[in-house]
Amino acid sequence: MADTGSSRPHHQLRVKGRRGSVDLDVSLELTAPWTVIFGPSGSGKSSVLRAACGLVPGVEVEFRRWNAAARRGQGEWIELQGASRALPTSWRELAYAPQGTAIFPHLSAKKNIEFGWKSRGRKGDRHFVDEAVELFAMQPLLERRPRELSGGERQGVGLARAFAVPNAKLVLLDEPFSGIGRGMREALLPRMRARLAALGVPALSVTHDVEEAILLGAEVVRLEAGKVMARGPAKDVLADERMAMMRTLIADD
Amino acid sequence: METPALNLTLRLAGLTTLCLLLIATPLAIWIARGHGMVRRVVQAIVALPLVLPPTVLGFYLLLGLGPGTSMGRELIAVFGHPLAFTFWGLLVGSVIYSLPFAVQPLVVGFSGVDRAVVETASVLGASPWRVFWRIVFPLSRMSFVAAAVLTFAHTVGEFGVVLMIGGDIPGRTRTLSISIFDLVQEMNYKAANRTALWLVGLSFAALLLVYGRTAVERRADLG
Repeated sequence: MADTGSSRPHHQLRVKGRRGSVDLDVSLELTAPWTVIFGPSGSGKSSVLRAACGLVPGVEVEFRRWNAAARRGQGEWIELQGASRALPTSWRELAYAPQGTAIFPHLSAKKNIEFGWKSRGRKGDRHFVDEAVELFAMQPLLERRPRELSGGERQGVGLARAFAVPNAKLVLLDEPFSGIGRGMREALLPRMRARLAALGVPALSVTHDVEEAILLGAEVVRLEAGKVMARGPAKDVLADERMAMMRTLIADD
Repeated sequence: METPALNLTLRLAGLTTLCLLLIATPLAIWIARGHGMVRRVVQAIVALPLVLPPTVLGFYLLLGLGPGTSMGRELIAVFGHPLAFTFWGLLVGSVIYSLPFAVQPLVVGFSGVDRAVVETASVLGASPWRVFWRIVFPLSRMSFVAAAVLTFAHTVGEFGVVLMIGGDIPGRTRTLSISIFDLVQEMNYKAANRTALWLVGLSFAALLLVYGRTAVERRADLG
């Protein structure tokens, strides 16, 4: 991925259009390896991810990647998706873990995790699957059917399935830690971050959980009624929420 | 036992089932996917054979396939002879007559497949073809069993349409249900009873297959 430390954006995602009662008009400059969209329910945050996947008809999506090496080091934007490149959903090369997991109920955990690789990958891309299995500690669950898994385990299968997609252009995670316990979340987060950094793939996740947004230490985009209200490091964007949280913690003591 | 009639009936029912699964699957996918007015109208048209007297359907089909209408003349030009009073005419009639029996179970089956699961499969890179065979079909396979069995059984049991389009030609368009009618008219109750019992057994076995499988599936889902 292009210089992740600096504030120069390496990817741009723009989503514009009407979704139900929300007028979406979101332009995201992805500067950090991981960007979190934070907002109340109904703010349209899931719709941004769904639109990027091509699942929301009538909403325009543009997705670009900055190629720093192009034009003799001056760099240029490469359009991965846009008006001139309207790709069908299955060609967008995205890794996606939707809200509520949506794991395939008739397939074992293993078949679920392998699905993206089998759909699109080459034989040599098998290591994406193995690494995702390892990352989410799925080995003991591989032969189980979804109905034999707990809620948290199912969430894990959903995340592993997304991370196992070979050569994804963008990882989209919708409320990735719902149903996963705090301890597990704190164990998983650094490993997920490290894996994404190793792959050089940017992640965009959605949450309504302040703690999660802060914990991720990621760039936070605050979304309200389909518009970006603020963006920046979690400690700035979520300063008010953080204070309120502290106050309740102190009050509890 | 009327062997030619039995053969003809099984051949007609088998081919009708095959044709209908091919036609009804895309139609049911389309109906299950949305809620527009057009879809409701199409669904009503598909269901028409459920409520129309078979003679009405047979009558219009006879006109449509015969030389008296422009569509019939086109068909005669294509096939070189009128379809009425032939096996292929029967097939066309049976496909239309049993259409709701194939489409309705499939619509119910496809509507029961979680939309989010289908969408996610597609985002993860599966082509529409792969999404159908790996996700939608396995999750709605009981509906395919139901559609196939009901279509087959319904075609075996049809009478009015077959009589109108087929005209009761032995060996060519005389199916089991019509041969019963003929046997009764000849007062050959014994033979009629034998043939009728065959049909009762066949129909019962078909329904048992549908309900039995459903019960097994349900137990498997709970377990």
